[in-house]
Amino acid sequence: MTSLRISLGMTIIIAVALSGISLARGAELHTAIDHLVEESADGMFAAQANDYEFLRRLFLDLTGEIPASVDVNKFAADTTANKRTIMIDRLLRDDRYARRMSELFNVMLMERRGTDPAWNRFLVDSFKSNRHWDSMVETIIEPDLTNESEQGAGYFLTKRLEKYGQNPTDHPGLASDIGRLFMGVDLACAQCHDHLFVDDYSQSDFQGLFAFVSNTFIRSDTEFPAIGQKVMKIPLEFQSVFEEEMFTTGPRIPGGTELEVPEYDKDNEFAIAPDPKSKAPGVPVFNPLHYLSTTLPTAKNAQFQTNLVNRLWASMMGRGLVWPLDLHHSDNPASHPELLSLLASEFVKHDFDIKWFIRELALTKTYQRSSILQTPTSTVQKAEAEYRVFREKALSPEQLMWSILKATAAKTRYPIELDDEQKLENTLPTTIDQVQEQFIASFANPPREPEVEFAPSVRGSLFLLNSELVQSWVNVGGNNSTEQVLRISDNAEVVNSLYYTVLSRPATSFELKQMREFLVSNSDRPEAIGQLVWALMSCNEFLINH
Amino acid sequence: MKPKINLHSSVSKQLCTPAQHVLSRRRLLGATAASGLLGMDGLGGLVHPLVADELSQSNKQVLFIWIDGGMSQLESWDPKPNTKFGGPFRSIQTSLPGVRISELMPKTAEIMHLLALDRGVTTVDNSHSAGVPRIQRGDPKDRGVIYPYFGSAVAKLMGQGNSQLPPYIWVKPGSGGFKYQDAGFLGPRYGALAIGDGQPPPNLLLPETLNHDDNSSRNRLRNFANAQYAAGRNPIFGEAQSFVFDSAQALMNRQALFADPDPADVELYGDTELGRDMLIGRKMLEAGVRFVKVNSYGWDTHGDNFNGHASLMPRFDQSFTAIVLDLQQRGMLDNTLVVAMSEFGRTPRINGHVGRDHWPEAWSIVMTGTGIRRGVVIGETNKTGIFVENDAHDIGDFFHTWFSALGIDSSKTEYLNNGQPLPIAHDECGPIKGLLT
Repeated sequence: MTSLRISLGMTIIIAVALSGISLARGAELHTAIDHLVEESADGMFAAQANDYEFLRRLFLDLTGEIPASVDVNKFAADTTANKRTIMIDRLLRDDRYARRMSELFNVMLMERRGTDPAWNRFLVDSFKSNRHWDSMVETIIEPDLTNESEQGAGYFLTKRLEKYGQNPTDHPGLASDIGRLFMGVDLACAQCHDHLFVDDYSQSDFQGLFAFVSNTFIRSDTEFPAIGQKVMKIPLEFQSVFEEEMFTTGPRIPGGTELEVPEYDKDNEFAIAPDPKSKAPGVPVFNPLHYLSTTLPTAKNAQFQTNLVNRLWASMMGRGLVWPLDLHHSDNPASHPELLSLLASEFVKHDFDIKWFIRELALTKTYQRSSILQTPTSTVQKAEAEYRVFREKALSPEQLMWSILKATAAKTRYPIELDDEQKLENTLPTTIDQVQEQFIASFANPPREPEVEFAPSVRGSLFLLNSELVQSWVNVGGNNSTEQVLRISDNAEVVNSLYYTVLSRPATSFELKQMREFLVSNSDRPEAIGQLVWALMSCNEFLINH
Repeated sequence: MKPKINLHSSVSKQLCTPAQHVLSRRRLLGATAASGLLGMDGLGGLVHPLVADELSQSNKQVLFIWIDGGMSQLESWDPKPNTKFGGPFRSIQTSLPGVRISELMPKTAEIMHLLALDRGVTTVDNSHSAGVPRIQRGDPKDRGVIYPYFGSAVAKLMGQGNSQLPPYIWVKPGSGGFKYQDAGFLGPRYGALAIGDGQPPPNLLLPETLNHDDNSSRNRLRNFANAQYAAGRNPIFGEAQSFVFDSAQALMNRQALFADPDPADVELYGDTELGRDMLIGRKMLEAGVRFVKVNSYGWDTHGDNFNGHASLMPRFDQSFTAIVLDLQQRGMLDNTLVVAMSEFGRTPRINGHVGRDHWPEAWSIVMTGTGIRRGVVIGETNKTGIFVENDAHDIGDFFHTWFSALGIDSSKTEYLNNGQPLPIAHDECGPIKGLLT
């Protein structure tokens, strides 16, 4: 083992071992991250983000919505030296943290396939109690069905076995998604032959993973999504389309050892026998899913270690160290290999504690850098790749919805109670869930398409431009933001108040001047203020997490 | 090296499922586009801006029909009946003396004299995931940048013309939206606006409480706010976001494009997905959209190729013939380049699933319209259709040909990317004279 000394004002010792890089006792991960980022960068760094930009970014990432203007004011005025750290800790304790994280993980794991109340309960409960990632994955693969908090976890598996369109039950797709989402490897194209241009992905890896789920089916005897297994009697047979030879494999995690498929008498196949009365399918003695749940999400699985840290890094910093997120392999190395290795080993040391990890990322100077860097546009991509400037991020449809509800102060309307007559005429959503459906329809990717790229759509623009719903939040009414500032007579105060409420910062003097002129030149004041609210919540500054 | 295809495979499942192919293809596009953005300014220009000015005044348009998955040349343009790999279908006489095509295209046979057919296409890639982008980018020499798709290239080189509509519209089954990945180093504004499932985008009408002036006024405010935000930031996100707003506005101004189709047109084009999309394509061309791509999916017939083509070809035959004749009757064919092609052809050899696999070695591309000689067939495959006998052409040659047909001198016009001049098509290829007027 060798040590290297790094001078950073304080000294951190980073130990480089054969297994990778790890942090010395007493050193903090966020400091080491900044060091590794700075060490590999070549060029000017952006300044640290100002309080307004930082606070907005942090609120969006940890609570899923922009800060209230009162929070912005307070934070900006606060002179406490470590106020950013205090704020990070406050938001990690905030109730909205569990909501935000369950939305993030739902989109990551389900890729817009749909939604299920028991699954949502599992996610929210997991993040409320800070269930660690290894435990979450173990539960997803093999939930304790007697525990209400865990019952819906099986949705990850069952939803993928539902038929859609003319497609056959997609067991291969399920195997492939287990590889992609829990290990960061997309083996789909190694189903029928070794991957044609990724040497690391072999057909036997895919088939080994496939063997875990090839006997699964959706249970019909539960009220929540749950999976059953048929008895696996013989190893899986497969053949490459390019070769004559037949192969067999038992269940095997890529990089792991193959499970031998035992032979049992017909009478001894089940640990828990099927119950024809309740239609409970029973549990086979040879239980591949149990093995998968206890072996995949562990510290021994290197791919399991790096997958989530890379995904959370991408969520916080705008792009994975390995990119695309599910193409970890030796010909597609991390942009910062030592950093990824360090993140993974520290994540393991902290027992896959997601909240701890997010906190460390939020504490870095890297995360807290400004998204503004005065540099020629031809060099800005390089600066982003080296994390010398904060990389802009897309808002998820959920973040956008909660933020617009906050900016317009329309959230308190919901749920809307209607009498029978009003119900007949009403075309607008009456609950937050219905509002959310509209946002997902307008801004989300289609099912089975990961939401990782910034991909604004005309559909989304038209929704902001023309939907009755958005207009109903902007037009005066229900004590919304438009109505609130309408009570203010001083135009400068109106403008500044709206900039705080919508863009989470004060207006510059130039903005004040322009917007005041606009207000003065418009005789229809409610209409003019509504337009101002709309313009601020439809501008790039609002629609991007920066 | 090409992997040897096992003809007697007993693998019961098909190759990757179509959904996975679509997915991995899209993901690859996303990945390559993103890495291509590194080190470029997102505002790729042209070496000779004056040329661009001139081209932007041109009224030439493009209809690019993309048959995704690989149409079999043997069941379409280059039939080999009564040969080893010929399959069950016969060939029929066309309106062009001596030229026969598959009996699955009776309507096309009647307009053969309007078309230019090249049966000598030889390309490199035999995978969908690499082949689709490679072919649609014209497979230029590797210069470490991600080249634009044909549609993005034309959008860049010729602009949106006078239509105010997005210059590159992609009509397709499935999801719509803004597909900026197509643009490569040109930057997101040259990406495609996709019209998915024939659906007009929802929320196309202004809300009742807002009039036209209010809408202009609030958008001026929004643009003002965007300008404040842009200073000092990477323009990519902001530009892409602004572009979709501008496109939305242009579409709002042209709502008639999405009106229900005329029943007579539906009968002509066929009451099919492809017929519907081809009809939308014609309306877009009529409205002045510079480049329209129409996609048809589901042609990857590794299994049951013949029933597959028996079902797919008539839909192509009818809608393709309808749009060519329609453009001609409207006097638009002389200004519109029409191309129909896939990412590759299909293997002459028939596999164990009565399917044909991917075959880039010898396949066909058809075209017509502006700058294209009509009623010609060039290129020839050998008796069994496995190889091109003479006059083989790679995709780079076609890009030169099409640019030339559009009035763009592809030997002189260059992109300017970050100070680096880049040829618009493979510099070792050239236009195919036999296809040009």
